[in-house]
Amino acid sequence: MGQAAALAVLDAPLALVEAIDRDGLVRQAWRVERWPVSIGRALDNTVVLSDPHVAAHHASVDLVHDDDSGAATISVAAGETRNGVVVGREHLGAGATKRIADDGRDLELYIGRVVLRLRLPGHALVPEQAMTPVVAAEKRWLPTLALGVAVLALVLANTWIDSDPEGLSRSLGAMFLTTIAGGAIWCGLWSLLSKTFTRQSHFGWHVRVFVTASLVTLVLAVLPPLLAFAFSWPWVTDFSFIAVYATVAAAIYFHLLAVEPGRERLMRGVAATGFVVGVALSLWFNVQRTGRPGEELYMNHLFVPQLRVAKPKPVDDFIQGLAPMQAILDRKAKEQSGGDSDAGADGNDDE
Amino acid sequence: MTGLLALAAASALAAPPRAPTAASAPEAATGAVPALPSAPVSLSARKVYEQARSQLVQIRTVLKGRASQTSVGSGFFVTDQGHIVTNFHVVSEAALKPERHDLVYVTADGREAPLQILQLDVLHDLALLRAGDAAGRSFDALPFRPANEPLSQGERIYSLGNPLDVGFAVTQGTYNGLVKRSFYPQIFFGGALSAGMSGGPALDEEGHVVGVNVARRVDGEQVSFLVPAEFAIALLARGKDAAPLIGPAYAIVDEQLLKHQAALTDRFIAQGWKDATHPRYHVPVPPDVFMRCWGTSTLSQTGGLDFERSDCVMDTRIFVGDFNTGTIALRHESYDGSKLGPLRFASRYSASFRNEAFSRLSSQHQTKPRCNEDFIDRDGLALRAVVCMRAYKKLPQLYDVAVLVATLDQSESGVQGRFDAQGVTFANAQRLAHHYLDAFRWVKPQP
Repeated sequence: MGQAAALAVLDAPLALVEAIDRDGLVRQAWRVERWPVSIGRALDNTVVLSDPHVAAHHASVDLVHDDDSGAATISVAAGETRNGVVVGREHLGAGATKRIADDGRDLELYIGRVVLRLRLPGHALVPEQAMTPVVAAEKRWLPTLALGVAVLALVLANTWIDSDPEGLSRSLGAMFLTTIAGGAIWCGLWSLLSKTFTRQSHFGWHVRVFVTASLVTLVLAVLPPLLAFAFSWPWVTDFSFIAVYATVAAAIYFHLLAVEPGRERLMRGVAATGFVVGVALSLWFNVQRTGRPGEELYMNHLFVPQLRVAKPKPVDDFIQGLAPMQAILDRKAKEQSGGDSDAGADGNDDE
Repeated sequence: MTGLLALAAASALAAPPRAPTAASAPEAATGAVPALPSAPVSLSARKVYEQARSQLVQIRTVLKGRASQTSVGSGFFVTDQGHIVTNFHVVSEAALKPERHDLVYVTADGREAPLQILQLDVLHDLALLRAGDAAGRSFDALPFRPANEPLSQGERIYSLGNPLDVGFAVTQGTYNGLVKRSFYPQIFFGGALSAGMSGGPALDEEGHVVGVNVARRVDGEQVSFLVPAEFAIALLARGKDAAPLIGPAYAIVDEQLLKHQAALTDRFIAQGWKDATHPRYHVPVPPDVFMRCWGTSTLSQTGGLDFERSDCVMDTRIFVGDFNTGTIALRHESYDGSKLGPLRFASRYSASFRNEAFSRLSSQHQTKPRCNEDFIDRDGLALRAVVCMRAYKKLPQLYDVAVLVATLDQSESGVQGRFDAQGVTFANAQRLAHHYLDAFRWVKPQP
């Protein structure tokens, strides 16, 4: 009955054998017109491979139907091979045979360094997937362009602020070229990676990720200091580096999406791990350097006076507010002096 | 934040000894040789040296068990029981790290014997020692010049010691009165002092002690300093019968620094501020009593920020072994950004506020800084104020305090100030910070 159904489909092959690349795309496919299918380097095989790790007659695959139940069984036999065949997780040495009941899913065979996939007509198909954002973004250049213009405008505004009136045009020119060249190199390197792994450069996507991340970073360079100044919140700039790290980690995640499109979860893990490790290292380093987890000893961002929102305090209150520092300093002076003086003694002995 | 280059610090004279081969070139430039050709040693210099020769000693700090010296200075007998006066900085290693250093003296005829430390005067840089072989011995002592016979300017005095471990020497110079703006009295000696002469006596023509060699200015010629004899007399009276010091002398140093900071804080606050330091603000600048202020004016060559700067420092600082402390310094910068506009001015003003260091001493000596900050109100004038403090690890109850201030009432100009006090108690740090912040205000109340 199963055979009859297969014959009814005109021109459809009995099966399809596909050689799969590491990005999951099919490199080559062979139509199976009769069973068994023989695989090897010799020309009389159905599937002729060129990989030197494959034997002349490496393996053969057959499909057997049980007459009573109609259930299909796939039989894989390893030929005169040194390296054997891997079916699923099982390794077959020379001459071994394995029978696998067809469960409606494609079967993968590892022969030499080639990954082969056996597709049978009755197998279920994965539904059509929507276009990934990576590919979709390639087509839409306008938002990328708008973001890019915003980034350039902000960079040039920063340059204007940082340079004196004389020599401004030179600084602007230099900064314009540096930004364009830097961005091009960054996006170019990511495109190279994409091209290596996916055979598509995804340049448009990488540019989109780069300009978005740059814009966020530029905003982060201004917004936390402004908040810290306006409301007298030193902790904002003390820890604003965390937001910058998060932006960088997100940017790397989105860049990686266009390098390894099928492994979103892995890439998310890579970016999140990088973020957590980076933040932890920075906090640890700050504690070592200054005895405090934050970045700044004191809030050192002054804006135009009109942007100040916090109310100034009377001097008396401010001076009285210093009192808690005494206990902290006294504790630190005691707890560190022992260890440090020992270290000093060792250093002097060596001289 | 570095001081003006014109103000090279006075250098202490107990530098480590140099190898004899290396001594010729660099030391000849600073030492006594070029200083003396115009004034050949007079008859009285010879007489003074011959009289004082047996009372004069070289003081060596020796690494325990290694027999190699880490520093050399000079000293002199002041009693027939073997009391010796020298500088604190000559014996500081032995006083603060006795577990690793020994102290010995060597007389002009080559006799060497150990030394004990009886008493210190860290503030005037003096130490009272006693010969370790004093029992059953009698020493020649140098007499002090009586206090009721003050020297007059231009009087000849002779400084004795062992410069650079070369040999005992006498150099002559003149008495030039007391050093202006010194926190503690010091004699301005117009003669050449070299490293190694620290702690040696300065004698008048009768061979009476008028002072103790202590320091010289490396940026001048024959600008040297002596500790007046009265402090050596007081130290002798105080410590004559004291038991020798055992263990590191940090407790004594700490106690004397506590007295110093109390006096310094009181005098600093009592002296008030100068008038007319800025057209718009009262900016705190101390009067020239024991501090000295230098100003510079910088006009931008590229149409940027113009600013004026004033630095006030004390010449006096207290030497405490590995570092100095006990001074006050102030600075302010007055910025004019009218050529820049508010945004560009704010960026530069902010960068200048950021560019401050709090790392004078290594973490071996002090804790890392802690800061407190806020906007404060001075009769309607808004300021950003930051107070940062560090505690000394081996000197309990003493802290360094730094106060940063930036005015925040104009969008294209402003004044930033910094106040630093070293080695003060927490309460005095608060008092000084309060005193400094209170001094900021508008010259005329603004609408």
